[in-house]
Amino acid sequence: MIRKTMLATCVVGALALTTACTSAGSGGTGSGTSTLTYMTFETPSLNSTFWNDSIAAASKEAPGVKINRITSPSTDRDGYAKQLQASGQFPDLLQSITPSTFAGAGLLVPYDQTWVDANFLLPQGNALKGKVYIPPTNSQIIPEVFYNKELFAKAGVEPPKTWADFLTVCAKLKAAGITPMELGGGDPFAASMPLVGVLSADVLGKNPQWLQERYAGKVKFTDANVVTAVEKYRKLVTEGYFDKGALGVKYADSITQFTGGKAAMYMMGSWFLGSVPKDNADNFGAFPVPTDDGSVVIPFAVGGSMAISSKTKDLAGATKFAQAWSLAPGNLKALIESDGAFPMLKGKTLDDYKVTVSQVFKDSFAYVTDENTKVASIGWASNDDAMPPGLNDQLYAASQALFTSADVKGEMAKLDTAWDTATK
Amino acid sequence: MRTRKSRASRDNGLFGLAAVAFGLYLCFLVLPLLLSLKSSFTDENPLRATSGFVGLDNYGEMIHDDQLHASLGFTLILAVGVTIAANAIGIAFAMMLNRTNLSYRVMRTIAFLPQVLSGVIVGFVWQTILTQQGLLNVTLQRIGLIDSPIAWLGSPNLALLSIGVVVTWILTGFTTVVYLAALQGVPVELYDSAAIDGATTWQRFTRITFPLIAPGMTISVTISLITVLKLYDVITVLTGGGPANSTRSTALYIVKLAFTDNRFGYASAVAMLVLAMSAAIALSVTSLLRRREVNF
Repeated sequence: MIRKTMLATCVVGALALTTACTSAGSGGTGSGTSTLTYMTFETPSLNSTFWNDSIAAASKEAPGVKINRITSPSTDRDGYAKQLQASGQFPDLLQSITPSTFAGAGLLVPYDQTWVDANFLLPQGNALKGKVYIPPTNSQIIPEVFYNKELFAKAGVEPPKTWADFLTVCAKLKAAGITPMELGGGDPFAASMPLVGVLSADVLGKNPQWLQERYAGKVKFTDANVVTAVEKYRKLVTEGYFDKGALGVKYADSITQFTGGKAAMYMMGSWFLGSVPKDNADNFGAFPVPTDDGSVVIPFAVGGSMAISSKTKDLAGATKFAQAWSLAPGNLKALIESDGAFPMLKGKTLDDYKVTVSQVFKDSFAYVTDENTKVASIGWASNDDAMPPGLNDQLYAASQALFTSADVKGEMAKLDTAWDTATK
Repeated sequence: MRTRKSRASRDNGLFGLAAVAFGLYLCFLVLPLLLSLKSSFTDENPLRATSGFVGLDNYGEMIHDDQLHASLGFTLILAVGVTIAANAIGIAFAMMLNRTNLSYRVMRTIAFLPQVLSGVIVGFVWQTILTQQGLLNVTLQRIGLIDSPIAWLGSPNLALLSIGVVVTWILTGFTTVVYLAALQGVPVELYDSAAIDGATTWQRFTRITFPLIAPGMTISVTISLITVLKLYDVITVLTGGGPANSTRSTALYIVKLAFTDNRFGYASAVAMLVLAMSAAIALSVTSLLRRREVNF
């Protein structure tokens, strides 16, 4: 009896410990079929149905590949992928991650360049040292300035071309009792949009190699030209062109407030196009962040679909599935309509995606297809211009800090320190 | 003979169960702790397969890390403020609810509710109250107390205050229950004697109640402090550590170091610091409060 009790207790204990201490493995092949883990994420528009349907469609092109979809608990795909890597569960396929974060550690395999060249408008749009780790299926302008036509008409102003004109527009709107700019300052990334805009347009617009030069230590955030650009953002704050409580406004609320006519302009990534109210879409327009001389500078980021793990047990199957998924117009349809993504597949027009988009989308897309100065959107690039790990957070913090602090140089010095720490 | 045998059998069974508990404790507490300690002497990066020994470099870096100092400052201010508030309110609530009839029992359950809710849920609920167009601003505007919305979560000082209020609200459920249990251990005869001697309500509180609930206070204050020192979920939802990192607790900073900056080694060193700090504070507070515990 004693032995039985002891034995039972030990078996239960051993089982509990074994279960607790064993981490789940991924992949594995059997009878010609491989099971690949695919990390996705969900948003109201890119919901479970979207992912399941898109996986089913791509799976038809990749027979023998079975997809086990896992979902990132938040939109921070990079963070979740790192947790999975740290626990030995790095997925075979990873949707919309920042490749620079993982490629440097040898965790990703590049796509075949011939295939990339054959299928995408900007084959090197998100390349890292010449290699493409996520197919460049779509792009974004981050940010552009969206405006409410009705409120502009009420204040008697037109979309500005130069920074001076922009300040005049803001002043006239304020004088007319209209809040000139909406800001979702409660969410750090949204708070950073005006700063990203002026830095990209002013600093990178004049020196597109600025980020590479920062890596090389040739330029700094405390340089006079950067400080001057950041002071433009400070001026918008000190002149009262944002609501004074903007740091308490969440990103989702900022969208509601802008589309509800509470402010005349909104600097945001082009994904906002997916939030333009369909029944009132013609009331909204967009223009690039104005520059001093009125030249058009587009802060641009080429995104993409999924990266392939270098640890995958079935590289051929993973590649086949990823390529099929990336070239399916149906998958981009949802991204275009709901996420304002600009498609970058070669030889296709908007009609080929069977999408219904607003005029403001078409006008914004024209900035992508037109000949103009396109520069990396600082903090959003996924190519060689991506900032070091942790710098985005520091940039967001600086944006929020400069809402209440006039110490522009001090905040820029913090960015330099963080950059140097991250790259040492 | 039979009794001795069955006792031996029971003891062996208990030994087995204790072994399981000890195994789980080793697996989930001691082992991760040792791994973290080991990691704190390395430059471990979650994206690299190998890491190098860096000695005390990570610990040395902490001395000059302004962001760490800011997060520690915020965490300590919050911990002290919330612990005082939650315990003071907890004592007051416990004294009000220290009755036996049904309505008081229902109210006790209601008072404990915030403690059983997930921090994330609490965060989201309070976020809808405290945002720019949230319930609080709308109400204050409707009754004419303010003209324009107050940025409860949008300015460093107000965000600290708002987080303090929310965490106090959560912890008050716990402290109330602890003090209620302590109050129910105070002999009624002492109050009767004091009443006969002509003691006032205040004198009865300071001379009888307060000294006799001291053991409860030791537990309540220590657990409140530790809870706030490792606070993560509520702050993540309410402010995400903003604005401008002004409400970033040390726990948030550790997660940022590990999973945004990819610095597992340094993050582990900071985690070790927090562990040592929590242990030191808990030990100091416990020994300090135990001195004023009264036995009868």
